[in-house]
Amino acid sequence: MVGKQKKVLHLFISLVLVLTLLAACSNNSKTNNEPSPAPSKSTTTEGTNAEGNESSISGIDTSERVELQFYMLGNAPKDLDKVEAQVNEWLLEDLNATVKFNYTTWTDWDQKYRLLLSTGQDVDLIFTAEWTQYQQYAKNGAFMRLDELLPVAAPKLYEFVPQDMWEAVKIDGNIYTVPATYKEYVTGGFVWREDLRVKHNLPKPVDIETFEAYLAGIKQNEPNIQPLAVGQDVGATLEDAYLDFQRQRVGAMPYGLHASYSDPSNIVGYWGSEEHLTDLKRYKSWADNGYFSKNELNETDGNQDKLTNGTAAAMLSDNPTRYNSVLNQMKALHPDWDLAYHPYGLTLGYATPVHPIHNGFAVPKNSKKAERALAFYELMVTDKRYNLLTQYGFEDVNYTVEDGYYKMIGDNTTNGFVREAMNGWAWRNPEYMIFEPSYDGVEAIFNELDKIQVPDIYTGFAEDYTPYQAERAALEQVEKQYLYPLMAGLVDDVEDGLKTFMEKANQAGLEKIQESYKQQWLQYLQESGHN
Amino acid sequence: MSKTMVHKKKGLLHELNKNKILFLMLLPTLLYFLINNYVPMIGIYYAFVQFDFHSTNMFQMAFIGLKNFEFLWKSGKLIQLTINTIGYNIAFIVLVNGLAISVAVLLSELRGKWFKKITQSILFLPYFVSFVILSVIVFNLFNYDQGVLNTVLEKLGAEPINLYAKPTAWIFLIIIFFLWKNFGYSMVIYLASITGISEEYYEAAKIDGANIFQRSWHITLPMLKNTFVILLLFALGGIMKGQFDLFYQMVGNNGLLFSTTDILDTYVYRSLRVTFDMGMATAAGVYQSIFGFALIMTVNTIIRKINKDYALF
Repeated sequence: MVGKQKKVLHLFISLVLVLTLLAACSNNSKTNNEPSPAPSKSTTTEGTNAEGNESSISGIDTSERVELQFYMLGNAPKDLDKVEAQVNEWLLEDLNATVKFNYTTWTDWDQKYRLLLSTGQDVDLIFTAEWTQYQQYAKNGAFMRLDELLPVAAPKLYEFVPQDMWEAVKIDGNIYTVPATYKEYVTGGFVWREDLRVKHNLPKPVDIETFEAYLAGIKQNEPNIQPLAVGQDVGATLEDAYLDFQRQRVGAMPYGLHASYSDPSNIVGYWGSEEHLTDLKRYKSWADNGYFSKNELNETDGNQDKLTNGTAAAMLSDNPTRYNSVLNQMKALHPDWDLAYHPYGLTLGYATPVHPIHNGFAVPKNSKKAERALAFYELMVTDKRYNLLTQYGFEDVNYTVEDGYYKMIGDNTTNGFVREAMNGWAWRNPEYMIFEPSYDGVEAIFNELDKIQVPDIYTGFAEDYTPYQAERAALEQVEKQYLYPLMAGLVDDVEDGLKTFMEKANQAGLEKIQESYKQQWLQYLQESGHN
Repeated sequence: MSKTMVHKKKGLLHELNKNKILFLMLLPTLLYFLINNYVPMIGIYYAFVQFDFHSTNMFQMAFIGLKNFEFLWKSGKLIQLTINTIGYNIAFIVLVNGLAISVAVLLSELRGKWFKKITQSILFLPYFVSFVILSVIVFNLFNYDQGVLNTVLEKLGAEPINLYAKPTAWIFLIIIFFLWKNFGYSMVIYLASITGISEEYYEAAKIDGANIFQRSWHITLPMLKNTFVILLLFALGGIMKGQFDLFYQMVGNNGLLFSTTDILDTYVYRSLRVTFDMGMATAAGVYQSIFGFALIMTVNTIIRKINKDYALF
C-alpha cells in the first residue's frame, strides 16, 4: 500500500515537472508569435469596431483584427506608450488593427536589423535606407514586392508619392519600399566653432587648406580643446568625407574604388595609388600636429557630443540637418558658444538632393499582414492626425505651434516626446511638417544648394556581392587591421604601412572584388543612362 | 553467444521497466536538452548553403559545400587566431588557478577573522565589474592625451607612452585585467573546499612535527586536486567562447593591436558585423564547436589516462 502511494506520488511529481517544462515552452512561443494586444483601451473599443467598420478605408479585407509589428532603428521616445495607445485607438476604428512600435536602439542596430529580416520574425513594416543596405536586401528578396499591393492597399499613398520617386527606389524593376517625399540635402559640409574662429581671427573653412589653417589656429590658441573630432569610424569620418570633398567622389564607394561625379564611368582603384598615399600622409600630418587624438580608434564619445560639450572644435563633415541639431543642443547648454557650417557644394559647385532610397519603409517578405501594414503606413503619412502625433507628440503636452513654428514644451529631459522623437524621417509629410525657428538656417542652406542641384547617381546602384562574399568579409578585416591605423595616423612609416595593407588586401582577394564591382557599376550606369 | 545477446536485450528493457519512475523523472532534463541543445543543431546545415530570402526553409537553398568557411582562411589569419585563442586561454587557466590556489591557501592559514573576510571580499568584488566598465577604466588609464599613466609620466618628466599603439603590451594588460577580474571567484571556490578539509589531518601532521609549509604542501594542495580538475574542465569547455567581452571591450576597433589580441570570437564578430550572412555566421560557429569538441576530448582522454576518477566521462 505504502509502496503504491509512493509510486503515485513519484508519478505525480514527474508529471508536474514535465508539465511545467511544456508550459514554459508554450508560453514562450505564444509571446513570440502574437504579443498580447495593447492596453486595456483596445478591449473597450473592440466590440464596436469588430462589426460595421470593415474595409472603411480601401478595398482591403479588415474583418479580422490584427496587430502590426512596426520596426524602427534607434531609441524609443519616453512617451511612446501614450502615442501608441492613441494611435491604436484610432487604428482600431480605421483598420480594425493595432500596432506595436518596436525600436532596436542604436547599439548593434545593424546586427539586429539583419536578424529581424533573416530569422523570419514577425515584422510588418521596417525602415529602409541606403545605409541599411536597402538595395542589397531588396535584391536578395528580403522585402515584398509592392507594385501590385500599393494601388489596392494604399491608393492615396500611391498617388501622394511622385512617380519619379517610385521609379528611383525600384530595384530590378520592382518597388520594395515606400520613399519619403520630403526633399532635403544630406550632403557634407565643414562644421566648426564660429565663436572660437572669430575670437582668434582664423580663416573661414571653405576648403581643406583653410580648414587646416583653422585647426592649426585652434591647436595653438586653445590647448584644452581637440581641434578635430574623428572617432572610431575613421573610414567614414576621414576618408569618405575627405574624398567626397577633395576628389569629388560620386558616392561612398566600397573596396577602395573611386569614381568622380563628373566622370562616373572612369572607375579606378584608389587604394595603393599615389593619391591614396598623399591623402594618408595628410591625415598623418593632422594626427602628428595634434589635430586629433592618438587614440581615436578607441574613442567612445560621439563626434557630435564632443562638439556640444566643448571637447572638440570641428568636424570634417556633417549634413545640414544634423549640424543644425548639434547647434541647437549646444546653444541649450552653452548659449554663448556658436557653430558655423560650410556645405561642400558651395565650393564644389554641385550638390545632390537626397535620393528617395535614403528614407523609406518596406514590408518584409514574411509579413502576413502586408495589406493592413501598407494601409496603416498610408495613414501615418497622409492622415494629419496620425502624422502630427507620431512626429511631434501630443499638441499642448509635448509641443505648441507658435507663428507657424514648432515649439517644444519643457526641454530634452522633461519632454517625453521631442520633435521627430520616433525617428520618423521616412513618414515625414512636407504638407504637415512644422519646424523650429532654427530650421530657417537649414532652409537657407537648402535653398542655396537648390541652385546647384544635380541628381544623385550613386545611391540607386544595387551591388550584388554574393559572388565575392567570402573575399568581402576577409577584406573587411584587413581594412580594419591595416588601413584604419594608417588613416588614424598611428603608423609611423605611411608608405611602408600602405604597402603592407595592399599586400594583405590582395591576398584577401581585393582584385576579384574590384573587378566584379566595376563590372556591375558600369552595367548599372549603362542601364540607368547616367554615363 | 546468442543467449547472451538475448539476455542483454532483455536486460535493457528490464532496466527501463524496473526503473521507469526514475527514467520518467529524468525525462524533463532529457527533453530540455533535446529541445534546447540538440534540435537546434539541425541549423548546422546553414553552414553549407547559400543563404537567400527567397527560400522558405534552408533545405531549399543552394548547397555550396565548404564555401562559407572560406572567409576564415581567406585573410590568412586562421592559424594566428587559433594560436591567440588557445595561448590566452592557457595563460588564463594556469595563472588564475595558480594565483587562486596560493591566495586561498594563504588566506586559510590566516587567523584574523576580520582581515580575512575583508581581503576575501575585496578580491572577489572585481568579478562583478562588467567588461564595458572595465574598458572605460582601461581607456582612462592608458589613453595618450589624458590617461592616468601619461599624466603621471609627464609629472615625473618622462616621455608619454602610447600604449594603444604597442601590441605586445596588450598581451600582458589583457592577462592582468583578466586575473584582476576573475581570480577572486576561483579563489572563493578553493577557499570553500579548503574549509571542507578535516582539521584532524592538520592536527595529526602537527603532532608529527610538520611545519606550516609542509602541511600546506602535503595536505591542502593534494586535497584541492579534485576542485582544480573540475574547474579546469569547465574552463576548457569555455575556451572557444574565448572571453569575447574582455577582448572586444578592451581592444575594440583598434586594428593596430589585432596581431596580438585578435581571437576567433572577435574576428568572427567583426567579419559578420559587416557582412552578415547566415551561412558564414553558422560556418564560423561550426568551426568553433568542432575545435572546442576536439579540445575537450583530448584533455579528457589525457586526464582519464592519468586518473580515471577525475575524468568527466
